[in-house]
Amino acid sequence: MSMFGGLEISASGLTAQRLRMDVTAENLANAQTTKGADGQPYRRKEVVLREVGQGGFGAALTAAMGSGSKARPGGVEVAEIATDQTAGKMVYDPSHPDANAQGYVQMPNVDTVTEMVDLIDSSRAYEANVTAMQASKQMFTKTLDLLK
Amino acid sequence: MLFDTTQLALERAISGASTRQEALAANIANADTPGYRRVDVDFHGALAAAMGSSDRRSALERTGFSPSVDKSVGAMRADGSTVDMDSEQAKLAANALDQQAAVQVAASRIQILKMAIGGGA
Repeated sequence: MSMFGGLEISASGLTAQRLRMDVTAENLANAQTTKGADGQPYRRKEVVLREVGQGGFGAALTAAMGSGSKARPGGVEVAEIATDQTAGKMVYDPSHPDANAQGYVQMPNVDTVTEMVDLIDSSRAYEANVTAMQASKQMFTKTLDLLK
Repeated sequence: MLFDTTQLALERAISGASTRQEALAANIANADTPGYRRVDVDFHGALAAAMGSSDRRSALERTGFSPSVDKSVGAMRADGSTVDMDSEQAKLAANALDQQAAVQVAASRIQILKMAIGGGA
C-alpha cells in the first residue's frame, strides 16, 4: 500500500474538477461565437468523468468475479470531453454577417445559467477534495509523530 | 514480547483508518462520476471480530482491510452516483478523529514503556 494513496486520490479529484472548470469557462467565453473553426456555431462541451481502473480489463474482471470488494479504491479520471449536439437558438438579426436568407442567426447551444451552475458545482467539489486532502495529510502527520 | 495485543490492535486500527481514508477520498473524488457506487472499509467490525477470537494475536496479525462497495445506499443523484457529499465529509472527519485517538493512545503506551525501560528517569 502506498503511503500517500489518499493524497493521490484527492489529487485526481482536483485535476478532474479543474478541467471541468476550464471547459465551463470555454463554454461561457464562446456563448456568442457563431462561427467556429468548421464555420458552424460553437457547440458546448461537457466533461465525462469515470472511476480510475473502471475502463477495459479491470472493469470486466470485477464484473466477472461478481464480488463487491475491490483491491483498492480508485481516483477519478476524465473519460472524454463530449460535445453537446443539441441545437442552439435561432435569433433574428438580419444585419449579422452569419444570418441566413430569412435573417435568422444560428446561435451556440450555450445556456449561461447552466454553465454558472456547473461552475459552482465544480468549485464546491474542488473544495471537498481539498478538505479530504487536508484530512489525509493530517493523518499522516499524526502517524509520523509516533516516531518522536 | 515487548508489545502486547492491545498495542497490535492499535497499530491495526491506524492501518484500517488509513485504508478507510483512501476509500472516503475516492468517494469524494468520484462524486460527479455517473453510476459510481460508494465504497467503505468496515475496519471496526474486522478488528472487533479479531479481538473476539480465542487467539487474538494471530487473528489480529491476519486481519487485512479492503474496501467494499456499499450496497446499503440507493442512488443519491439522477446520474446513479450513490455519493452523498455531506455524509462523506462527516465520515471523513470522524475517521480522522478515530485515527488520531488510536495514535494518541499508542503514543502514550510507548511513552509508558520508555519510562519503564529508563527506570522512571
